[in-house]
Amino acid sequence: MDAVNIAELSGNIAVVGYGLAAIGPGIGVGLVVSKTIESIARQPELAGRLQVTMWLGIAFTEALALIGLATPFIFV
Amino acid sequence: MANSSDTLFSKALRLSTLLAVAIAIVGSLLGYLFYQLPGVFAALLGAGVSALFGTMTILSIWFGGKFSLNGFYATVLGGWLFKFLLFAGVLLALQNAEGFAGPVFFFAVVATVLGGLAIDSWLVLKGRVPTVGN
Repeated sequence: MDAVNIAELSGNIAVVGYGLAAIGPGIGVGLVVSKTIESIARQPELAGRLQVTMWLGIAFTEALALIGLATPFIFV
Repeated sequence: MANSSDTLFSKALRLSTLLAVAIAIVGSLLGYLFYQLPGVFAALLGAGVSALFGTMTILSIWFGGKFSLNGFYATVLGGWLFKFLLFAGVLLALQNAEGFAGPVFFFAVVATVLGGLAIDSWLVLKGRVPTVGN
């Protein structure tokens, strides 16, 4: 009797890596932005300072995403 | 008169560009040593692309800050999304390119991104942004 495939995958597994590289930073940036909005709502007079600090938070999370997206160049 | 966050962002842009130029030069030399001409192209592209994306973040926050709160988030997050779609497109184009040294590109991207982070952190920690206003 022939074996029956009930789940077959085809394609490149690196695509899953791209997805994972997008999930983490996506959640991270969402948190950074939501907390900044919350803080500005509590103390609007701090908006300028909070926006500058938010830049640092976004820079760190996007660093992970950029490195994650570029990894296929070494993990081939 | 330029306010303090203008000074901070313009300084960050200047230093990030200088860092990208330095990494492009060092990366080209190392790339040439290990991969010859494809290594030079990869180092220049890696430093250029990641410097472009780093400066896009700074510019989006700088110019977004001049709008209302909704405009600010639209600029920053819209810019982020656009940037990542663009980066994925660039990587897709480069992945199957012939005569391209992938590892040199990767290390140039990592060096530029980490160097940019160090510059940003240093500027924010050292920068004097008043508590009230900009």
